[in-house]
Amino acid sequence: MAVRDVIALTTADFRDRVRRPAYAVILLAAVALGYLAAPEGDARWVVMYIGEYRGVYNSAYTGTLIALTSALWLTLGGFYVVRNGVSRDRSTGVGQLIAATPMPTVRYLAGKFLSSCLVLSSMVGVLAVTALILQLARGEETAVEPVALLTPFVVMALPLVAFTAGMALLFETVPLLRAGLGNIVWFVVWMVVAIGGQSPDALFGGIGVHEVAASMAHSMTAQGIDMTGGGFSLGLVYLDEPLKVFVWDGLDISAGYLAGRLAMVLLALLVALAPALWFTRFDPARRHGPAPEPFMPMASGGGHHGIAAPVRPEVAAPAIRSLPAPERGGAYGRLVAGELRILVQGVSRWWWLGVLAIMVAGLALPLGAVTQFVLPVGWIWPVLVWSRLGTQRVEYGVDGILGAYPWSRRRLVAEWGAGVVLTLLTGLAPLIRMLAGGDTAGASTCVAGALFIPSLALAMGVLSRTHRLFQAFYLLWWYATINGIAAVDVMGAVRENGAPAGPGPLLVTAGAVVLVAVTLLTGAARRNVRT
Amino acid sequence: MLELIGITKVYPGNKRAVDGVTLRMEPGLLGLLGPNGAGKSSLMRIASTVTKPTSGQVLFHGADVVAKPDVLRRTLGYLPQDFGVYPNLTSREFLGYLAAAKGLSARSAKTRIDELLQLVNLTEAVKRPLGKYSGGMLRRVGIAQALLADPQVIIVDEPTAGLDPEERVRFRNLLSDLAADRVVMLSTHIVSDVESVASDIAVVDQGRLLCRDTPEALLRRVDGQVWELVVAADRVAGLQHRFLISRLARTAAGVRVRLLSPAPPGPDWVRVAPDLEDAYLAVINFGAGQTAAVR
Repeated sequence: MAVRDVIALTTADFRDRVRRPAYAVILLAAVALGYLAAPEGDARWVVMYIGEYRGVYNSAYTGTLIALTSALWLTLGGFYVVRNGVSRDRSTGVGQLIAATPMPTVRYLAGKFLSSCLVLSSMVGVLAVTALILQLARGEETAVEPVALLTPFVVMALPLVAFTAGMALLFETVPLLRAGLGNIVWFVVWMVVAIGGQSPDALFGGIGVHEVAASMAHSMTAQGIDMTGGGFSLGLVYLDEPLKVFVWDGLDISAGYLAGRLAMVLLALLVALAPALWFTRFDPARRHGPAPEPFMPMASGGGHHGIAAPVRPEVAAPAIRSLPAPERGGAYGRLVAGELRILVQGVSRWWWLGVLAIMVAGLALPLGAVTQFVLPVGWIWPVLVWSRLGTQRVEYGVDGILGAYPWSRRRLVAEWGAGVVLTLLTGLAPLIRMLAGGDTAGASTCVAGALFIPSLALAMGVLSRTHRLFQAFYLLWWYATINGIAAVDVMGAVRENGAPAGPGPLLVTAGAVVLVAVTLLTGAARRNVRT
Repeated sequence: MLELIGITKVYPGNKRAVDGVTLRMEPGLLGLLGPNGAGKSSLMRIASTVTKPTSGQVLFHGADVVAKPDVLRRTLGYLPQDFGVYPNLTSREFLGYLAAAKGLSARSAKTRIDELLQLVNLTEAVKRPLGKYSGGMLRRVGIAQALLADPQVIIVDEPTAGLDPEERVRFRNLLSDLAADRVVMLSTHIVSDVESVASDIAVVDQGRLLCRDTPEALLRRVDGQVWELVVAADRVAGLQHRFLISRLARTAAGVRVRLLSPAPPGPDWVRVAPDLEDAYLAVINFGAGQTAAVR
């Protein structure tokens, strides 16, 4: 009975998730990443190498390469796909139906965990097939060894996706981590796992790289290859010259290594089931803290959560026909104001205090520190608010009403305008300082950035109809910026000789215009094919 | 004024939700009746420009609103069956935003919102965020937004769902009042919602328009074919098998059965005056061109 419950829940949840567009998007991204990870022999980039060498694309090397890169991707992108299992039950009301059944919370959590594991494992499975295709396509070694090809996916990728599934469930049941903040926290956790997990001392073997590197080094030494050219590296790198190749026949998996991977799966299971201690089974009366329950669009005959004091209707109502006909005109400013109010609805006072602190720091610190630190902080602070752009109408079901309202494009532009106002607000102090300090190039880039970032958020929101795409993408973008990658700096934070080193303000503005155009076209296309 | 001509809507999977429906509407209230899944909501969404038809035309004062929907949207009040609100906004803020989206001037918006909040009895709740409203209160917010811009066309889909009986009566009267000089299109599967207020009734089923008539003409279709009798409870199953039962009511003496039959079902049955529910059931079960038949 218990097993049947869990299997039924797992199956239903798995079916629902893989039929969602996000599944296909992340899967396609994973396949594309796999393709990128195993380029042609004369390519000028590489994802995994050791010294001046990479392995011949045989089954063992291709399988390991794709397994490691996909594991890294699925722990990030996959997390955002599977982290809504419980919240979907909450928002659709299915949770309350399940809560009224005798199914114990532990079984519910086990079903959700297994479903998430299945979703991510199915992606791993597709990537294993991709690895096979890539090995044959590259043609460096056409003999396929199934065990060597698949073993890395089983021992490296699967424990990591189990860990990701467990953490996603944990995040969903902790009120503070349930919403957008959890997405950001996970990004930080992922960075720690991706970097710290390559260490020889990483818990449970980390992401499994260390043993792979040691085995490859051993093979190279055995083949008489000089190892002074550098160590093992996992991550996209551009090359001046194509790499030389060596033959690697795969990892000899030790019992200790295998035990570490099994321990990681057990840890994932424990993490997933631990919320049984505090999970409230969708009972709003047992909710802790001020975090509101996600709001459900209203269906006929349905009501909302919360307690509503009755307002007794009076039978005698004023005659509607006596109301004066309304005048039109001059509404655009109020529309932008309305969009701004919707954008920041429910934002806490603490968030606004943070904005104030950023402004004070922007006005008080030296200009160099303002451009290098305060502006990037000011333009990461609203990431959760920006990510609402383009999503809220669908999220709250207001599009049911607005679908019959005129001037839909004007509303989208007003929404974009609200995003720009918010961006300018959080970047206002640095902008003032740049203008006061005569840094016109920096100020121009800052203004262009204030146009670009909300454009990106709106485009991603309208395209994906979810907050998570922008949150994940922008965090990567911002991380690259603060690490000094000038090519992606739209803020003017990366400097060379005191001047912004990134794309010029005209280029950034042009990017914003393109994104807004994409948004408007997408909105129009959605309307035209609406069912 | 508003014309739906040969409207067909085919959803992916070849599901034909609306099949060649033609409706021409002038000021007055058209009640669209049909069972769940009949295609009413699809038709309402097409009439309100939210959904494009697969084929057919929607004309407003002769203008094609499938190609240029804003022609109708500027003067349309639409209340969908399912809708949401921004939960952290108050009703005044939400309606203020929608008034701006409709292009109303600031002065007009303020006056209109005040009046509409009074009309739908929400003046006492204006400071509460919408997330704290009950289902009925939210539906009243939906009604208010539909009336924001003094619409010439009002399309309301299952508008009384979630309202208590007193509110239902009030809302029906309001629509009846509005229909004096506006097109009002109301869809429902509850016959009593349109019985007292509709000047015209269209019955749809399986995407097709079965009939369109005045309430009086619909009643005439089943005149003399509605019968009542109090019977023992164990006879009900047999009657249900043979006749179209329109109502059952348990009484101290047994079960009062109301059924449709062209001839007396038995010696003691009493012929009664039909109501719209009888006529609707007859149309749905036996088609528009036929009288009630014995099963």
